[in-house]
Amino acid sequence: MNIADQGILLVEDSPDDAKLTLRAFKQSNIANPIALVNDGVEALDFLFARGAYADRSGKPLPMLVVLDLKLPRLDGLGVLKAMRADDRTRLIPVVVMTSSKEDRDVVASYASGANSYVRKPVDFAEFVEAAKLLGIYWLMLNQPLPAHFAK
Amino acid sequence: MLAAVGVIASAVWSTYAEVEDARRQRRDASDLARRLTSLKLVTFEYALIRQERALAQYREISNRIDGMFAASRFQGPAQQEIVARLRSGRTLANQIFDELAAAFQGETPNRADLEPSRNFEAQLLSRLSILQQDNLSDVFRLTDLTTEQSNAAQQRLLVVILSGLALIALITLGVSWLIHRDVLVPVARLQQAAQQVAAGNWTTEFGAGGSDEIGQLTRDLGRMTQALRDALARVERSNQELAALNRELEAFSYSVSHDLRAPLRSMDGFSLALLEDYGVRLDDEGKDFLRRIRAASQRMGHLIDDMLSLSQVTRSELRPEPVDLGEMARGIAEALGQRNEGRKVHWQIDDRLTVRADQALIHIAMQNLLDNAWKFTSRTPEATIRVGMREQDGRQAYFVADNGAGFDMAYADKLFDAFQRLHHAGDFPGTGIGLAIVQRVLQRHDGAVWAEAAQGKGATFFFTIGQPEHEHRRPGHPAG
Repeated sequence: MNIADQGILLVEDSPDDAKLTLRAFKQSNIANPIALVNDGVEALDFLFARGAYADRSGKPLPMLVVLDLKLPRLDGLGVLKAMRADDRTRLIPVVVMTSSKEDRDVVASYASGANSYVRKPVDFAEFVEAAKLLGIYWLMLNQPLPAHFAK
Repeated sequence: MLAAVGVIASAVWSTYAEVEDARRQRRDASDLARRLTSLKLVTFEYALIRQERALAQYREISNRIDGMFAASRFQGPAQQEIVARLRSGRTLANQIFDELAAAFQGETPNRADLEPSRNFEAQLLSRLSILQQDNLSDVFRLTDLTTEQSNAAQQRLLVVILSGLALIALITLGVSWLIHRDVLVPVARLQQAAQQVAAGNWTTEFGAGGSDEIGQLTRDLGRMTQALRDALARVERSNQELAALNRELEAFSYSVSHDLRAPLRSMDGFSLALLEDYGVRLDDEGKDFLRRIRAASQRMGHLIDDMLSLSQVTRSELRPEPVDLGEMARGIAEALGQRNEGRKVHWQIDDRLTVRADQALIHIAMQNLLDNAWKFTSRTPEATIRVGMREQDGRQAYFVADNGAGFDMAYADKLFDAFQRLHHAGDFPGTGIGLAIVQRVLQRHDGAVWAEAAQGKGATFFFTIGQPEHEHRRPGHPAG
């Protein structure tokens, strides 16, 4: 399986932010397929192939989840906890990407098992820079788990 | 109590007077007995030697006895009776003595008459002798009676003193019981309640109390506690309101942090996208408009960030520890130099600038002060920034001094207000929150910050940390 085939799951409720994030990934030459879901419940449905995503059963899980914290229905921390509690998703790297730089959000994210915490800057040029670094680290440098462990 | 002592004293006094009176009567009786004995002896002497001297003596003693009878104040019916008998006995005795004296003087040397007159004289003398003996017996009886009277009076005195003592003991017992019931017990209760209140048990009831001073005090203390309780409840309420406000503020900043920045990101991001993707279709003015939109979004982003850090400085918990400001300043200076490699700034940072402060907060303050110094010396050819300490009014004032742009002291009072700027953004960029954050940090350390500056000649920012060890005197105070 090709690394580039493995997808990224972007959990983002704001269409503007989603569009900008996708643009930033594109400008950072991240060619991996990116799936977009709009809230926490959808994110878990996608990961565990439930509800609207039941047809995903048997398909490979994303190799990276980019997670916003403030989400409708189930928030980012809830998604993170649910992922870390399930063997299937326990080891998938999660990058929390949010507006807030409040200490409690940072601490809570790491405490719930986030691998990275990135604050979305207002300046889009900086945003692209951050996305580029994220892509380089998590998609190129980071050695993914052997495939039989990821299952 | 005082009345009881008075009664006892007067009882003792009157009994004592009785004793004295009885003693005097006995003395009088003894005197009488002695004189009557003398009179008897003189009578015999006269009967034997028949001289004028003895007669005169008899008269003198007899007169004195009469005088004593007149002066004597024997009391009691038995005594009065004896005295009356003695008086009549005395009168009779004097009559017999007079007859006898007349018989002795009328005696003639005539032998023939001698015999019958001698018989008469012997008869008289014998009667007188018996009478005198009777009188003497009466006086002795009188003496006995007065002795008994005196003894009885002394016993009464003893009884009066003892019962007086018993009465005083009884009264003392009663008074101390009253003190115990009306003073000691309420005071102990009061003390217990006061201790309860002091221990923080504000619901302690002091009770109604009696009508005396202690009761009044009890009610006053009860009222005082009630007033304190009310005040405490009010403070509690405002504390709750404050806590609620604080929570609200926290929620507000959290929401600001998340929600207010998102639209800015869109404005900036899509402006840039427009520039990148459709730039060729825009003329220079169109591109300039888009750049202005981006600049404004980014400026507002910084304003929001600074506002949030100001509120964070206010909300975060204070953890004081020893901090070396010199070491901290050197670290910040190094970072500034790395970020702006083109600039040459001469740093003078003193050693031994250790204070007790919250490491993170004081770092924010130092960062802001040094950022400012760095920023406002950007147009100064020989830029120098000094960090040190000097004694001022007995306090240690730390300072950050630069020889940069400075400012007009007329605006110094606006310096530490949030969003107040003394320079145009085009000259020196900034949001105008940095010094407000510095002031907030130092206020949280019970310190203060102030500045001295002159336009074009640099600025010095002084600050103190913690309360002074002791209040220094204010010079020129009329009382001082």
